[in-house]
Amino acid sequence: MSNQKKSDDNLKGTLYATFGIGIVIIVVWALCFNLFIDRF
Amino acid sequence: MTTAVTSKETVNKINSSNISFTKNNLSKVDKKDAKLSLAHIYVAFTALLLGGLAGLLQVFVRSGQFKLPFGIGYYQVLTVHGVLLGLILTTFFIMGFQFAAISRTAGAFSNTQRKLGWIGFWLMTIGTISAAVMVLLNEASVLYTFYAPLQAHWIFYLGLTLVVVGSWLECLAQAMRYAQWRRENKGQTSPLLTFMVVVNNLMWFVATLGVAAEVLFQLLPWSLGFVERIDVLLSRTLFWYFGHALVYFWLLPAYMIWYVVIPKVIGGKIFSDALSRLSFMLFLILSVPVGIHHQFTEPGIDGFWKFLQTVLTFFVVVPSLMTAFSMFATFELRGRELGGKGVLGWFKNLPWKDSRFLVPFIGMVAFIPGGAGGIVNASYQMNELIHNTIWVTGHFHLTVATAVVLTYFGAAYWLIPHLTGRKLTNKLNNYANVTGIMWAIGMFIMSGAMHIAGLLGAPRRSEFSTYGGSEQATEWISYQIAQAVGGTILFIAILLIIGVVVNLLWFAPKGEEEFPVGEVAEGAGKTPAILENFKVWGVILVALILIAYTIPIIDIIRNSPLGSVGYKFW
Repeated sequence: MSNQKKSDDNLKGTLYATFGIGIVIIVVWALCFNLFIDRF
Repeated sequence: MTTAVTSKETVNKINSSNISFTKNNLSKVDKKDAKLSLAHIYVAFTALLLGGLAGLLQVFVRSGQFKLPFGIGYYQVLTVHGVLLGLILTTFFIMGFQFAAISRTAGAFSNTQRKLGWIGFWLMTIGTISAAVMVLLNEASVLYTFYAPLQAHWIFYLGLTLVVVGSWLECLAQAMRYAQWRRENKGQTSPLLTFMVVVNNLMWFVATLGVAAEVLFQLLPWSLGFVERIDVLLSRTLFWYFGHALVYFWLLPAYMIWYVVIPKVIGGKIFSDALSRLSFMLFLILSVPVGIHHQFTEPGIDGFWKFLQTVLTFFVVVPSLMTAFSMFATFELRGRELGGKGVLGWFKNLPWKDSRFLVPFIGMVAFIPGGAGGIVNASYQMNELIHNTIWVTGHFHLTVATAVVLTYFGAAYWLIPHLTGRKLTNKLNNYANVTGIMWAIGMFIMSGAMHIAGLLGAPRRSEFSTYGGSEQATEWISYQIAQAVGGTILFIAILLIIGVVVNLLWFAPKGEEEFPVGEVAEGAGKTPAILENFKVWGVILVALILIAYTIPIIDIIRNSPLGSVGYKFW
């Protein structure tokens, strides 16, 4: 077991937020792709 | 930390030299440079007021509840809106900001450089007035893309040419100041903001060659009657060679503010100098050879080239997400420094009441759905879904008309008092925050309605019509009314912005307002010299342009049809 304290000096939030943007892009794209397939 | 770490000694040396350099020499914009910068800002905000009014009239007309008085045409108003806001507000603000940014970070301009800047400014202003007069006389209702075969009066084209030539002179003045800095500081990395300005200017110069060729060799001779017909496809291809890079010419100054100014405003640091420069160089090489993604439905361009430029367009996601990562990292490091805990707890520690941060931040948020919509636009076959629909208008109202301009406004709120020797008071700061919030609400309603109506097939660039009582067109009307509601809120926000700007120009109390320039975070690695090697990146840029455009343009010219005569439908 490590005795190290859990540090708050990290970029975990940045990582999640950046991935979050990627997910928004993919979701919007997928919804539009679904419309595209329906229509054409 | 994810940035590379050099030895502590080197980092301290770099940081301390940067700090002393900044404090001793460059905390303010030179007074003579400030006048040049302010001259641009006057024109930019005049354009905002008049262009905004034209936008308000447009959404009223499209709601079906209002008719333009005095014989004013819808397409005339549409042209005023697009030219004044898309071309004039942006170009003048960018050039004004860039003069101030270089003066602040590289030092005052020499008399020759400044004179060149003034000549450029007056050329741009005369060009703007000439083009505007032609639009107001109803001789040039060709919208801001001025597509052939719609034919404007030759003075309109000449006016826009003067705007571009004037901007070239200004870019040259700024490049000369950068070169002077490099000569005086051999072997050192240039100030980040100055470097970014030079990258933006280089991209602008390369991109405007396309539109210059279109205007000089096609539109002017044709509108003057020297030739009867025009190759429409060639003119549109040259326009979009320029037109997509134009989008980045608007965006990169906003990125300059995000990367360099915002960290200082929030009391934090620039996450990484190297990452910032790499992202700008990637934008430089990827902005121009992607214009054909605006021409997916053009029949005269082979599918292979459309596909190639689709792929190149998708590469732009890389520097975009690098920027998002860098901004979040700056926010998170600062938020944690102020005691923020947990995965996202640092977020609430940011300075939400400071308009210098809040207004550009709203812009950043708008860029997320704006960017997502852009990916749909650029997805080749999927472009069919939204091509020439009002979705596209909604898209660029999120990107340029929110992400970009809110960042400009947020910058104007400290830049103008810095230049005029006044203070952004608490009261003005509160009004400034209200402008950002109102803009967000108005744009959410207007742009959201545009996106949905676009998916339902509503066309862009078209006056109100029931299309002979068509059932499909009836579906759009409620969204068009929503656009009028959103547009009205936006116009009220514009009036408020003008009020704040007028106060900052002439009435706010005398004092000193900082031009915030961030310092690089401790522990960030030394910037590799390759990131400032314009020869290497220039060669890549030229190579990509040649690969993406040579054969399509040869094809277009070789298979050139008879061409079209000019049309004036207004």
